[in-house]
This record gives sequence, structure tokens and C-alpha cells, in this order.
Amino acid sequence: MIGFLLRRIIWGIPVLFVVATITFVMLRLVPGGPFDREKKLPPEIKANVEAKYHLNEPLIKQYLLYMGGLLKGDLGPSYKYIGRDVKDIIRDTFPVSIQLGLLAALFSVAVGIPLGILSAIKKDSIIDRGSMLISITGISLPNFVLGAILIVIFSHILKLFPPALWEDARHMVLPAITLGAGPAAYIARLMRTSVLDTLHKDFVRTAKAKGLPEHAVIIKHVVRNSLTPVVTIMGPLTAAFVTGSFIVEFIFSIPGMGRFFITAVTNRDYPLIMGVTLLYTFLIVMTNIIVDILYAVLDPRVRVK
Amino acid sequence: MLHPRSFVSYLISLLSIIIFLFGCNPKNLDEITTFRMALSSEPPTLDWNLATDNVSFDVITNIMEGLTEFDEDLNPQPAIARSWDFSEDGKKIIFHLRDDVLWSDGRPLKAEDFEYSWKRLLNPATGAEYAYFLYDILNAYEYNTGRIKDPDKVGVRAIDDHTLEVRLKKPVVYFPSLTTFMVTFPMRRDIVERYGNRWTDPEHIVTLGPFRVKEWFHEYKLILERNERYYGKRPYLDMVVMYIVGERNTALSLYETGDIDFVELPTLAIPRYRSHPEYTNYPILRGYYYGFNVKKPPFDDVRVRRAFAMAIDREELRGVLQGSGIPTSSWIPQGMKGYNPGIGLPFDPERARRLLAEAGYPDAKGFPDIELVFNTDMLNKLVAENVQAQLEKNLGIRVSLDNQEWKVYLSKLSEDPPAFYRLGWGADFPDPDNFMNLFTSYSGNNHTNWANPIYDRLVSEASIERDEKKRMALYDRLQRILVEEDVPIIPLFSTRGNVLIKPYVKGLELNSMEILYLKKIRIEGRKG
Repeated sequence: MIGFLLRRIIWGIPVLFVVATITFVMLRLVPGGPFDREKKLPPEIKANVEAKYHLNEPLIKQYLLYMGGLLKGDLGPSYKYIGRDVKDIIRDTFPVSIQLGLLAALFSVAVGIPLGILSAIKKDSIIDRGSMLISITGISLPNFVLGAILIVIFSHILKLFPPALWEDARHMVLPAITLGAGPAAYIARLMRTSVLDTLHKDFVRTAKAKGLPEHAVIIKHVVRNSLTPVVTIMGPLTAAFVTGSFIVEFIFSIPGMGRFFITAVTNRDYPLIMGVTLLYTFLIVMTNIIVDILYAVLDPRVRVK
Repeated sequence: MLHPRSFVSYLISLLSIIIFLFGCNPKNLDEITTFRMALSSEPPTLDWNLATDNVSFDVITNIMEGLTEFDEDLNPQPAIARSWDFSEDGKKIIFHLRDDVLWSDGRPLKAEDFEYSWKRLLNPATGAEYAYFLYDILNAYEYNTGRIKDPDKVGVRAIDDHTLEVRLKKPVVYFPSLTTFMVTFPMRRDIVERYGNRWTDPEHIVTLGPFRVKEWFHEYKLILERNERYYGKRPYLDMVVMYIVGERNTALSLYETGDIDFVELPTLAIPRYRSHPEYTNYPILRGYYYGFNVKKPPFDDVRVRRAFAMAIDREELRGVLQGSGIPTSSWIPQGMKGYNPGIGLPFDPERARRLLAEAGYPDAKGFPDIELVFNTDMLNKLVAENVQAQLEKNLGIRVSLDNQEWKVYLSKLSEDPPAFYRLGWGADFPDPDNFMNLFTSYSGNNHTNWANPIYDRLVSEASIERDEKKRMALYDRLQRILVEEDVPIIPLFSTRGNVLIKPYVKGLELNSMEILYLKKIRIEGRKG
């Protein structure tokens, strides 16, 4: 098992390297640079600024400088936020996104899984139809619309939760629901399909034939064996959750790092784009490893392989 | 867990736990002398030599002060400088500084703090984007561009602790306006050298304005508190909280729920609030125009350019602008000296068609396909669609629209300006020179390829003309060349600010430079 883990982790290194290289090259191919402004800088001034960030060097040298820094764990300075390193920015904002992301993940699992099981068991009943209608709505409703609806209902009409900001726990409710609703619906559908599939398996019939009560069969045999697809998507989903959502952070004014996936690009803040992209890649690699471990826990057959 | 009813009760209990744990507490009511507002983004920096944007500006102008500051009419008034004298030839200014100014750590301000700041701004290694702001100073350009290495040759010098001497290249009448701007504020050499890049962190930064930085929670909020050592009148507010709210509708929500005291309205919300008692609107020194690349046909013919200018009825833009701008045919915006609404080509589709025919396109026959290029933005799109429809209706010309991402657009503008494009300009300082200089042949921001030696000469004459009346006459003449005779641009509108202010907020003055002086704000009779 440990050998397997080590192998997987070592395999992550070339992945990061390739992503870093591709991102670096693609950023330089996009027209427009970090210091292009509506008020164009005099060429002498632009030369000073570019020299400060080594942007006047040949591309290959810039690349080597960046990769050299990366090996030492240095993500470089932000071009937009003067005096702050990309590392500082990630250190300041990533914990916020993790907090929000975990709450949203919790919400999506706590709602999605029971809803999916219930629909499967009561297949074709009103409950099934109703919950699948809700989940289709949940999937198709973009989260900026859902966020706006929640703000109107819970902040302006009921005055239960604040419409934005990030002060205490009550500020986290609406954004967590907004972020978690879509995935909750997705998980519910996935879980429903998976449970339906499992219900027809031989071992379920055997368990029933043994005379086990219905709920014991469901919980012990069906649910456990239906979790695999959900666990599979929870990997990338968690990575996406904890790196934040541009839209949700934006509408609720949450100081997370999701915004940088968009703003760093529009600002052409090269080091910051590299930083968040690499962090995201790293998380995808890591969560996939965790998912593999969970497979082994859920399904003994995987362990044998 | 298996029964539907138990699932519903599961959901209900989940929700009630959430509400029980997180539901609204009553608001804290003793924050009576706190003013709360929204910033549209994280301030990129508080280093005033390096700052370039409005958000940093909003913070810096309240924690720092310079030699001069603007009054309500945007005339430079004494601030740290008690007074100043120009020499006979206008090429030397002596600023006499107050002797009672203390930094927030208690050290008295000295003239050398200005000298250090200005030389740091001009030092090429600093990489300051606004270094050109001081190019009027003797040898400033040469030092900033590395032509001379010795900073002592730059024409700024502390004669003693309270006297600053500035030598200029030419007699620049608006120089005391320049020293209201943040990049010229004094700076502490010891602090900058001790903390390097980190000197603007709240625990290191040393300032001298009415407020000081108490806390800076990046990407979220900035808290300022009153600077008890401030040399001027004691500010009324104990504290200012600036939340960083990127989405304007969110800021509006926070205003509605009473979480902030002042908000800028999103354009689409303006009609809904226009008759609201807390609503105000005011001019901003920012112009919006369509430019022609005069080297590219068909716009190499001035008759075509004039025809376009006369075929657009700017009044029609009012419906699109919703109060976020006022149509104009002249270039110097409302609120600035030299503003003259009588200038500009009138809307006259008849004459426009005649001009087009004279240029060889009767009834637009044979007129080439043209594209109007602009950066992706809702308002730009609405304006472009309106103009597109007018050109088709009034001239029979079909214009296609091409929108591009901002930075892509900017790089296109500087490499190969499109034949017909959109751009804007906001004032760096409230002097017409800042608007007219833009279209000189040597301006890096003139993307029209238009060059007129007479225009260039008059711009530089006007910048040193000390007789106000003659000076304004020169600007009228310049505007006529720009928008009536040669027409490299068509001004469309100038921007207006639209805000809501809570009734308990007093003394909040809005000016066309968008400078918010927090020290003038009072809170009176706020109820929780």
C-alpha cells in the first residue's frame, strides 16, 4: 500500500511540471501584458517596470528563472498586488476557500446522498419525481441565480442571514448552500442510479432471502456498495470546492482565492495565474490519490489489484 | 431514515440547526462613529509612489497628505505647504512647509521626506508607472530614463527642514495641482529601507494623514482609525471600515441591509433609485469617445470623419446611459476649467450625407465595410449598438461590431490601432492640459495617428500661459481643431457618478476627481 502511494505521489511531479510549462507558454501567447493600461505607459517607464520583473529577458531565461524559483518553493511576486508574493496571497485566501468549500461539500453530501437513496427506494413515486425535479433544477440553475434568489429571500425578506461579507458563521450559510446546491443535486442523481443498480444485484437478493430487515439490507449492503461513483466524483469535486468559486465568492464578497482564477487572467498577473493553476493541479492529484485509497476501503477487490 | 417523512424531518432538523447556530444576532449598535463603505477591489498597493489605480487612491488620500490639496472647486490649496512662491521666470518654485506636521510615529516631517519620495519615484529601479508625473522637473526625465545616473542633478532639493526647492524645465502653471496627487506625497526613507517590500504592512507603515491603517485583511476589508497626531482639524470619525466588494449589486444589497453607509449604484439600478431621497449624482472628469485611425481609409478623409460626427445624435444615448453619463460634443468634460458645451459638430444628418457624397460616397455607395472595435463591456456594447443603428439610419452605412477582451484590445490599440475604435480618458489632475495633451502627436495615448503641428504648439503654449483668460481662449481654439476641424475623435459623453448616501452621513462631498475626503464626514443621529 505504501509503495503504491509513493508511486502515485512521485507520478504527480511530472504532471505538475507539464502543467507549469504549458501554462507558462500559453500565458505568453495571449496578447496583452500585465502593464498594458488604458493610460498607456511611456515606453521608458514600461521598460523600467518590465526590467523590475525580468520581463525584458528572453522567454527561455524567464522560464528558467521561474522554474528555478519553483524548485525552491518560490512562486514569485504578484505583478498586480505590489509587494505581495503569490505565496502570501495564497496563504491569505486559500484557508477561506477551504472553509467555504468544506461547508459546501458537507452540505452537498448531507443533502445529496439521502435524497438519492430515498428516490431510488421509492422509485417512480411522487417523492422520487419531486426530488428529481428539484435536483434537475439544482443542476441547471446557475449559482449566481440561486445566490441572488437566496439573498432576496433570506436577507431582504426574512432578514435571517446577511447578504454578503465574511464575519461569522451566519455569513457562511447562504454561500455554502449556493455553492453546494448544484453538486448536491448531481450527487443525488448519481446516488439514485447507483442504488437502483445495486438493488438488482445478487447479494442484495441473498441478503433479503436471509431474512434481514429492509433497512439493514439498504444501509449495510446497498448504500455501501453504491457509494463508489459518488466517491469517484468527490475527488475532483473537493478540489474544485476548496479552491473556491469565482462567482460565489464574488456575489457574497468572500475573501477566498477563487476570484484569482478569473482576475489574475484579466490582469495578466502571470505569477499569480501560475500559482493558482499549480495549486489546483496539486489538489487534483492529491484528491485522486485519496479517492484511490477510499476505493480500497469500500471495495476489497480493488486492494487485490 | 428510510421513510420519506423521516427524510423531510431530517432536512428540517438540518435547517433548524443551521438557523439556530448561525441565525442573525442583533447588530452591534455602539459603532456610531464608524463610517462603512465598499471598495471595488483589493487596493493593489498602499505604496503611494507605486500606486496607479482608483482604489489605492481612495485609501492613500485619506492616510496621507501632500504639499497641496484640492478645495471643492478643485483649486490647489495649502496642505503641508503653508505657501509657495514662483520665481520671476516661473521655472523655480519654493514650497514653505508647516513646522507642526508629525508622522504617525511621532517624528516631525522634514522637507527631505519630499525629496526622498520624489527621487524614489523617479529612480528607474523603483519601476513607478507614474514617474512621468514629475517629468516637468529639471532632469527628472533624464534620471528616470537612465540618461543621467546622479539623482542629485534632479531639480528637487530640501533647502532646510521646512523649505523645498523645485526647479522646472519650463514654467508649468499647474504644478501646485500636481502635488495634490498621491505619487508626490512625502515618504520616510528609514521605514522604506528598513522593511523593504513590506513597509506598507499595517504594523510598519508610517503616515501623516487624518487616518491611519489599523488592520488590513487582504481581499476582504481595511480598517482605518483616526490618526491622533494629525496636524489638521481632528477628523469626526473614530473609524472607517472599507469592505472589498467586487460586485456592485452586492454592495447595493449591503447598503439596503444597513451594512454600509454609502454606495455607488450599478448602472442598471439607477432608474429604480432616481427618485430615492438618498440618491445623488455628480459629474466625473472622465470622457468617452470614438476615435479614428486617420491613416486608414476611409477615415483618412476628414469629410468622412466629420460626416460620422454629424450623423450621431448623442441625445439618443441618454436612454442607454441611464444617468451614468451625459452626452457631449466637446472634449473637455463638465466640471473642468475650459469646459465649453458650445463646441463640437452639431447633429445634422443632411449635412453629414452631403459631406459623405463630397468624399465620393453618395448615398454611401462604394463605402467600404467597416468595423467598430471596443473592449468587452455591457455599456460599451449598448453604446456601440446605438451608434451602429444611427449610422445605418442617417448615413446608410453598415458598421459591424467587434468586441475584444480588455488587454487584447489594449495591445491591439498600441500595435495597430483599428480604423474606428472606442476609448475613454479620466483626469489625472483637473486641468484641461491633461485632456488636450492626450492628442498631441507625441502622446503615447494618441492612437489616432493624427498629427497637427499647430495643435501641438498651441497645447504647449496653453500649458505655460499664466493669463487665465488667454489660456481658456487657447483651449477653446484647441477643442475646435480637435472636434470640429480635423475630427480625429468623436466625443460621445462624459461620466457621472450615481450614489446613495445614508441620511445620517453628513459632510460627504462628491467631487469630479472622485476624491473622497473622509476627514470631512460626520455621523449624526444614526439609529441601529
